[in-house]
Amino acid sequence: MRRSILSALVVGAASLALAACSSGSGDDSGDGGASSTASSAPQLSGTLTVWVDETRIDSFKPLAKEYQEKTGVTVKLVQKASGDIRADFVKQVPTGQGPDVIIGAHDWTGQFVTNGVVQPIQLGDKKSDFEPVSVSAFTYDGSVYGLPYATENIALVRNNKLASDTPDTFDDLVTQGQGVVAKDSTVKYPVLIQQGAEGDAYHLYPLQTSFGAPVFKQNTDGSYTNEIAMGGDNGHKFAEYLQKLGKEKVLNVDIDGQKAHDAFIKGQSPYMVTGPWYVNDFKKANMDVTVLPVPSAGGEKSLPFVGVQGAFISAKTQNAILANDFVVNFLGSEAVQTELYKSGGRSPALTSALDKVDDPILKQFAAAAGTAPMPSIPEMDSVWQFWGKTEVQIISGKASDPDKAWDTMVSNIQKAIDG
Amino acid sequence: MTAADPTKPVAPKGARWWREIAWRHAVGIVMIVICVVPLLYVLSASLRPNGSLTGSTDLFTTIDFSNYTGLWGRGYGHWMVNSLVICTVTAVGTVLMGAAAAYAFSRFRFRGRRSTLTGLLLVQMFPQMLAVVAIFLLLISLKDVFPILGLNSTLGLICVYLGGALGVNTFLMYGFFNTVPKELDEAARIDGATHGQIFWTIIMPLVLPILVVVGLLSFISTYGEFIIAKTVLQSNDKFTLAVGLYQWASDERNAPWGLFAAGAVLAAIPVVVLFLILQKYIVSGLTAGSVKG
Amino acid sequence: MTEQQVAERPTAPVSGDGGSRRSPRRLRGDDSSHARRPGSGFWVKLALVAIVDALGVYGILTAAGVHSWWIVASLALGLVIVNWAYFSRRAVPAKYLVPGLLFLLVYQLFTMGYTAYVAFTNYGDGHNSTKSDAISAISAQNQERVEGSAAYPVTVVLDGGELGFAVVQDGQAEVGTADQPLQPLDGATVEGGKVTAAPGVEILQFAQIAQRSDEVTQLVVQVSDDPADGTLRTQDGTTAYVFSPVLKYDASTDTFTDAKTGETYTPSDHGNFVSADGDVLQPGWRVGVGFENFTALFQDSRVSSLFVQVTLWTFAFAFLSVATTFFLGLFLAMVFNDPRVRGRKIYRSLLILPYAFPAFLSALVWKGMLNTSYGFVNKVLLHGASIDWLGDPWLAKLSVLGVNLWLGFPYMFLICTGALQSIPGDVMESAKLDGAGPFRVFRSITLPLLMVSVAPLLIASFAFNFNNFTLIYMLTGGGPDVVGAPLQIGSTDLLISMVYSVAFESGAARYGLASAVSILIFIAVGLISWLGFRRTRSLEEL
Repeated sequence: MRRSILSALVVGAASLALAACSSGSGDDSGDGGASSTASSAPQLSGTLTVWVDETRIDSFKPLAKEYQEKTGVTVKLVQKASGDIRADFVKQVPTGQGPDVIIGAHDWTGQFVTNGVVQPIQLGDKKSDFEPVSVSAFTYDGSVYGLPYATENIALVRNNKLASDTPDTFDDLVTQGQGVVAKDSTVKYPVLIQQGAEGDAYHLYPLQTSFGAPVFKQNTDGSYTNEIAMGGDNGHKFAEYLQKLGKEKVLNVDIDGQKAHDAFIKGQSPYMVTGPWYVNDFKKANMDVTVLPVPSAGGEKSLPFVGVQGAFISAKTQNAILANDFVVNFLGSEAVQTELYKSGGRSPALTSALDKVDDPILKQFAAAAGTAPMPSIPEMDSVWQFWGKTEVQIISGKASDPDKAWDTMVSNIQKAIDG
Repeated sequence: MTAADPTKPVAPKGARWWREIAWRHAVGIVMIVICVVPLLYVLSASLRPNGSLTGSTDLFTTIDFSNYTGLWGRGYGHWMVNSLVICTVTAVGTVLMGAAAAYAFSRFRFRGRRSTLTGLLLVQMFPQMLAVVAIFLLLISLKDVFPILGLNSTLGLICVYLGGALGVNTFLMYGFFNTVPKELDEAARIDGATHGQIFWTIIMPLVLPILVVVGLLSFISTYGEFIIAKTVLQSNDKFTLAVGLYQWASDERNAPWGLFAAGAVLAAIPVVVLFLILQKYIVSGLTAGSVKG
Repeated sequence: MTEQQVAERPTAPVSGDGGSRRSPRRLRGDDSSHARRPGSGFWVKLALVAIVDALGVYGILTAAGVHSWWIVASLALGLVIVNWAYFSRRAVPAKYLVPGLLFLLVYQLFTMGYTAYVAFTNYGDGHNSTKSDAISAISAQNQERVEGSAAYPVTVVLDGGELGFAVVQDGQAEVGTADQPLQPLDGATVEGGKVTAAPGVEILQFAQIAQRSDEVTQLVVQVSDDPADGTLRTQDGTTAYVFSPVLKYDASTDTFTDAKTGETYTPSDHGNFVSADGDVLQPGWRVGVGFENFTALFQDSRVSSLFVQVTLWTFAFAFLSVATTFFLGLFLAMVFNDPRVRGRKIYRSLLILPYAFPAFLSALVWKGMLNTSYGFVNKVLLHGASIDWLGDPWLAKLSVLGVNLWLGFPYMFLICTGALQSIPGDVMESAKLDGAGPFRVFRSITLPLLMVSVAPLLIASFAFNFNNFTLIYMLTGGGPDVVGAPLQIGSTDLLISMVYSVAFESGAARYGLASAVSILIFIAVGLISWLGFRRTRSLEEL
């Protein structure tokens, strides 16, 4: 008897406590607070959950605030690790626990679409306001799945202290660089192109395209087919060229991104092939740099991949209207795109905002851009791996016959794509 | 080693000291160098404003504490507190549950005892490749019922960790419990002690060293765990140190290695301090040995 | 509740220690006569169980509220077990086992059960969710905006309680709902191409639209009586476009039909809509596939070429890792177990430093230090040697073992330090007095005694290293790669990281396959461990 009273009491108390917790812990962002203030000024209420990785979150924090002040909608930013954000999104959206919006790169599109975790975005007549490559990057099977806000690409960055004019071919550039190395004892590398143990096909791609060996065939509208185009003679020529650069120690597998970055800042090389993400560091180090297209190695124009950043809307969002408003109307506005360009240091995807970019270095990067976005097919992960690792094996001399290694790679990639 | 052992605290002198003791110091010094060099490397990186983990080979060319001061604006304080809370609770829970189970296995003979023991060992061997997906789903369902055990909850994470409380640690304790003579229990029982009293007042003090070891092991492994933690914890202020540091390291292009190194150096301090504090309990097993005599 | 069970019962026969045997003095009504009587302890127990019961009952009620019958059943079962264990006199061992086992059941066995379940499905990229999710995703992805059609500024209205769209077409205001194609709306006020007021319909403000987000975005209004003219939809509540579906789902036949070609797609056994000539619609959904995942790995010709090599290395790695870490740890524990060594405290504290750093950080640091051209090891320790530590197949294996030794010996050191305390010093003393040398003492006394408590840990450590994915992944990524291999598998890849390569990096994530192989690995490791564990039984009876 005593026990039953006691437990009844405890049940009661515990239930109260739990009930309190449930209303409190549902949304840590202070959902309750938002709805109570909502009655005073803005009309809207509710919460949009936005996933963003640590590289982009600082740019989005002020925007979340701005949107909330403007509309009354709370934007809850959830920081995910850049290594996990994509896989977690695919896993969590079907459970209904995913976010409403995810900020990411366009090459995730294929995986998201084949898993049915994102919904098409209607840009309508706004479509033509964006740079064409940025929209085609987010286009998959004819539908647009993301709103682009920034584009980026790699190019040749020159340290003007060590070199003042740049030749037209990569061979001449290497010769020029080697001359600087011979003259100046602090300079150690004719040119820096980052590699690392896993390889980096992305940073070698401008050289590869200059041999006329793009990764896939492109349709006329810029979208990719599944047909591998980097095999054959042109591919062989590039593979042999890689072997030559490896033998001459122009390319070194041990130089990863961090190492290349540090060496360039220390003035150890006149050139580095890199993207806008390091520009702030160069500025901080008071370097005088010029950005140029990567000179051709194989005779054709070098075309780096264009990477586009944007926002996707979850297929299972409960707030489709708000998510659309946030993504299309807010992130797609000129003011916000300009703000993102200023905080993120990438060229805006909206043409009107791009036209107003005044930073000379970013302009030079944009001028060196190609017209081909990175492919976004779901199998791209394994393509990158075979591609990078084969290049590493050729550069390091582990694969003594570059043509054969390249052919094996192409057939392995084909197998991986075919499943 | 009984308390009466006359040789115990007295160090030998002269040639005998060289033969019996000196080499131990030599071993110690060599091992410490091996242990410490990579960590000095991290320490050095943490004192360079734009430090990296792969670049420089010159140790301590610059001494600059900006990485350390920079930590606090990034939520590092929260992470530290979260880690300490989560790891302490998990360690205490693991010790209590593990010790209780070890007591049961060591002192009682019941049906299914052997198979339960084997089962515990085998469960630990399951490859946890999908653990994250499963735990995520579990916590989603739990959230509907006990919101406090759901996602992004410290308590929820602790409970997940406590799921692993029985396991390898139980075996460690089980083996140690077996070395405590059963005559002690018998004597106490004849004096009228209940099994609970025997457990709390007789066995537990005697096995203190292993409890401390298990607590420490549990604390450390929880401290470094980030795979489950990063799935469960979702907002920056709930992160543990491991999750926070992992997020910094996962930035492919602009990873703040200097901050990362500084964060890692500070993160190691609690573990070392804890070990320093607990060390005397681990070694106090020597006194426990005297009871056995 | 407890009192009725006080009546003494003979407990199960016990082997000498009689854990649950009670003194006959302990009888009903004897409460106050002994200080040890269930005073505080009993009340603590009662309070704790009451709290657990309270939480359990609360949980059952809430779970029933959200129809989580699984949780209801588990909680009810859990409560029965807890109450039985703590209020029954017979279940003494259970009192000590229940808390840990309950947590284990909920969190660990669930993981195992879930993995087992997934192993029989095709869960993975492309088969990520339920069939209804797949249908709605396919439908959403295959809407085409009618070419040349205008964008309509739309007003969301309530027309007789039903949600509808009001638009202006050729200067004429029109309204339509889900069941009613667009029809003229008389007397409407139009401002800026948008209907702002109209008799008989209620105009929703944006805030209201946002609240009914789902209904509004799913609302489809036919442009005219002819469905071929397309349908109006809106995503943002302010602009509507005319769409025509490329693929149309028919619920009665459960098929998709291509509006242009007439091709039909029917659901297949493997969770996809497939056309007669084999075209597959993405996404699919999760279905059971029987034992397919278990056989897939062996049918993959890319795997079989590397399987033997990887398996051998996995065993070698696991065995050598345990052996090296254990002996180094034990050696150091014994070195500093001598009370005559001064400064042991400092030595011990510094020796656990490698363990105090998060392991993934240490792996990263070592990776940097072992870099051929710039690493600390080559450049400083070896004065500019260019040894390819992580690039040469054999050196990479050695490096992996070395780093794992560095990471792992403090664990063994800690355990051995603790376990050594349990060895009675007098045994060793007497052995020494009998003239046994230090090695002899170690072999015949220390090691066997130590093994009693440590052997199961060594088995567990073997299993852990067998599946030590993190180290390999962080340090070498499995590399250096076998040149030209059809999978990204390298000289240091373990079975578990090979599975990872096959299941996750060959394009799409295949959780079903990963689970199936996890289970196969588990059976293999479990069997080995079980055999090893049986052998330690003899040790234990010492």
